[in-house]
Amino acid sequence: MHGRKHAQIETLRARIAALEERLPASGEEMAPLPTSQDPLALPGGLLHEVFTDARRNGAAMLGFALGLARPLLGPGRPALVFVQMAGEAQEAGLPYGAGLAHFGVSPESLLICRVESVVELLWAIEEAALCRAVAAVIADIGRPHKALDFTASRRLSLRAADAGSTVLLLRYGTGREASAARFRWRLSPAPSAGMAFDARAPGRPRWRVDIEKGRLGKGAGSPGFFLDWTEHGFAILDRAEPGAAGVAGAPSSGAASAGLGNRYSEAG
Amino acid sequence: MLHLPAWATDTLRRAEPGLPPDRPLALWETVRGGMRLCAVDRHAERAGLSPGQPLSDARALCPGLIVREADHEWLAARFADFADWHSYAGPIVSVLPEEGRHKPAYGTLGIDIAGVAHLYGGEQAMLDGVTTRLENLGFSVSGAIAPAIGTAWALARHRPGTILAPGGEEEALAPLPVSALRLPEATIAALGRLGLKRVGQLYARQRKAMQARFGSLFIARLDEALGRGNERLVPRLPAPERHVERRFAEPIGLIDDVLATTADLALRLAGQLEREAAGAQGFHLFLYRVDHKVMVLSVNAARPTRDPGHIARLFAHRADRLGGEYDAGFGIDMIRLAATTITPLAPRQDGAFAPPDGTADLVRLKDRMASRLGPLAVSRTGFVDSHIPERAVRLEPAIAPLPDDPRAAPDPALPRPLRLLPAPERIEVLAQVPDGPPASMVWRRLPYRFLRASGPERIGIEWWVPGEEALTRDYYVAEDEAGRRFWIFREGLYAAETREPRWFVHGLFC
Repeated sequence: MHGRKHAQIETLRARIAALEERLPASGEEMAPLPTSQDPLALPGGLLHEVFTDARRNGAAMLGFALGLARPLLGPGRPALVFVQMAGEAQEAGLPYGAGLAHFGVSPESLLICRVESVVELLWAIEEAALCRAVAAVIADIGRPHKALDFTASRRLSLRAADAGSTVLLLRYGTGREASAARFRWRLSPAPSAGMAFDARAPGRPRWRVDIEKGRLGKGAGSPGFFLDWTEHGFAILDRAEPGAAGVAGAPSSGAASAGLGNRYSEAG
Repeated sequence: MLHLPAWATDTLRRAEPGLPPDRPLALWETVRGGMRLCAVDRHAERAGLSPGQPLSDARALCPGLIVREADHEWLAARFADFADWHSYAGPIVSVLPEEGRHKPAYGTLGIDIAGVAHLYGGEQAMLDGVTTRLENLGFSVSGAIAPAIGTAWALARHRPGTILAPGGEEEALAPLPVSALRLPEATIAALGRLGLKRVGQLYARQRKAMQARFGSLFIARLDEALGRGNERLVPRLPAPERHVERRFAEPIGLIDDVLATTADLALRLAGQLEREAAGAQGFHLFLYRVDHKVMVLSVNAARPTRDPGHIARLFAHRADRLGGEYDAGFGIDMIRLAATTITPLAPRQDGAFAPPDGTADLVRLKDRMASRLGPLAVSRTGFVDSHIPERAVRLEPAIAPLPDDPRAAPDPALPRPLRLLPAPERIEVLAQVPDGPPASMVWRRLPYRFLRASGPERIGIEWWVPGEEALTRDYYVAEDEAGRRFWIFREGLYAAETREPRWFVHGLFC
């Protein structure tokens, strides 16, 4: 009895998937995404939700989003779109052109779009995601909104899949709604390892990342890990908690001799 | 040419429906310390009143008279709207100034109908249609069609309904009084004293003698009336370079209908532009309301285009932004779509072999966003040659053309935050030494303790900017216990510039 029901559900799921011509939306059954050297170089066309607890982590959020978006930029898709509510500019800060270069994004490629209402916000995200020249849409959403429900996220994920551009929703707070996002990240900034020659100066940006939904490819860390930003992109640190004194863990990609490579790249 | 002798009072009656329709109405103004009538309606005219009469006389002559003070500004503004609306009939509409009055003008309207009349079934039908329409609305109106402005002006007042073919000016104007020549009153009186009452009497006179006696304006007016001048209408609305339009038998009101029509019109306009191998950047939608108002919606494209779907979408987004501004009144009976800033655009085949990159898509995206969210809402970063962080970067409208010499981005080796607060926020800071790095701060009522800090990067004032009075800033990148990084600065050099430097948060680092 139970088995028949299960089989029936499976058939229905397969039919829906066939109708939509894409993988079933439930996270557990998804195959791990194909990844390259960088475990976070995810393919385009996905909807991500990135959460952090407090508004003051906004810069860490933007940095992470730019890091995810950077591998998607290319000659065919040269643009990034940043969407923000017009009233939140002072609270959250505006993306600063001169600081973008550090994340490998040229300021000319970032289109900044300020909207008045959540309706306009969703419209702008959707419209930008449909554009074939847009690699990723980064939406900075400071407050929870009723309109950002499952329907809205489903719509956005379909748009993203259709057009092949990634949509990143930056959300703040601890509340979670049902969502059709393929990935849900939870971020917080983490103390950096310090500069190689001056332990009292801040080193490379570091995040603590928890994947609440979705799965990374083989070789990537477990659901909770630490992440550094290097000149070559993201580097996942070893499982061990990095020491505060500056003995950083090894990047999981790249260098042959982890400790040495790490020190060299910091020096450079 | 349309002459509306009682426009002021007719408009007042339309604006104040409570006025009794059968009682005389007049407007007065203060002239040289006395209150005199300046406009009278039909009833008042029949009762023997005329403009220029003192108000008290008029009251005595006509006991039932209703009077109002004339608000010339208001009347002129209403007349301007009224004139704009008449561009439904012909693209160039102009309000003709009243002779000898330096006030805002109203009362006479010139419409250039060259090449338009056939749309109405001929000039006679057009004139009848236009005047009947105004009469139905309660305006007294007389009109005439003539090859020259001066001729039409004279005929509209003295021979309403005339349609004059080129060449007939002298004959048609001969029996008219000399007041048909748009002359100042003093000149008309002087002509009268010489027994010159009819225009025809002037033909045989020597021009030189007349010019010496009455001035060159007189000769110019006479020539204009006889079609020998070179006078042109001064259009009120910018004359569109290309336009297409549609009229409705029944007025429409819904914005959806308007947009559907716009899509059709865009298709026709695109066809026109394509035949000329041209594209346009400015598009204007004129909505003619039945109650004499024109609504104009304008959108701009970043690059010349003639893609009908794109034009229609831009207007659809612009309409979304209208919200409560959209008011169809009693309905819209004509829509015109016009294009400006037309530049050559080579014929091109879209589709099959177009390169797969999305640059064109991106341009269209910017247009769509700017038309829906407003042109200032969509921006990109532009660099300005300045050391002061908030001046070094500014947001430029994304649809503006890229500057020819893109200014070099600031030195990437300098630490610059990912997010900049538009206005630096004042904070309380503890530092171990007054000119050292910060140890802790209170920002937005939350305490932060810094474990690491780098800096300072000293940014001086731009003393060459006039009126610059800021203090030197020392910028630090400070990281707190949780790993958050802030870009904070101390304003003023300790001891050299100030005894109590103030601290600010200016940006957030990742």
